[in-house]
Amino acid sequence: MPQSVTVRVERPEGRPIRIWVPVLPVVLVLSPVVALAVLGAAVACLVYRVSVVRALGAGWRVVSALPGTRVDIEQDRTAVLVAIR
Amino acid sequence: MNEQRKDILDMLAEGKITAAEAERLIAALERDQSPAASSLDARPKGKAKYLRLMVHTLEGGEPGRVDVRVPLQLLRAGVQLAALIPPQALDRANAELNKSGVPFDLTRLKPEHLEALVEHLDEMTVEVDQPDTTVRVFCE
Repeated sequence: MPQSVTVRVERPEGRPIRIWVPVLPVVLVLSPVVALAVLGAAVACLVYRVSVVRALGAGWRVVSALPGTRVDIEQDRTAVLVAIR
Repeated sequence: MNEQRKDILDMLAEGKITAAEAERLIAALERDQSPAASSLDARPKGKAKYLRLMVHTLEGGEPGRVDVRVPLQLLRAGVQLAALIPPQALDRANAELNKSGVPFDLTRLKPEHLEALVEHLDEMTVEVDQPDTTVRVFCE
């Protein structure tokens, strides 16, 4: 599971913005929303006759595989970096 | 001499960019090429872990760069997730593809085929070199 997400934005004007988001505390704080989202996904699976267990398992595997993802874009002296660890 | 460096110097000689812009472009090129070159030429022959997409552009003298690194494990997980798409959704997607002039049958695309594709991605390298754009896709 991802430990942290780093977002860095550099613009020609102004100071660079760097945000470090610890995933676990944020998920804990948002746990009611996460629970609702999982419930909604389970209902959607039942409506579309998709195995709930398989769907949740596949979703969890996607989340677990996220660490190491890195997107770095630079254009016209503006740079955006998103890194998941 | 590196082809991209030569292009930058050519543009400088032709007066398309200023000396300051050329310096900035070469600095960006050196910064970006060292990890890319090492990952392409001297990367370990073991199992690749990441799919890397690197794009360098030059629009109006301003350098642009896109560097995306995606774990191959994420692609495998995505394939498993895609296998759960209900048939009626695939039929609708097929209809839309047909309407757009892409007669592609998504129902014939089996998860095991995609798995095999992802498994062999580490042997793939795509390089596109144009005067103002360079694209590299490889695994590391």
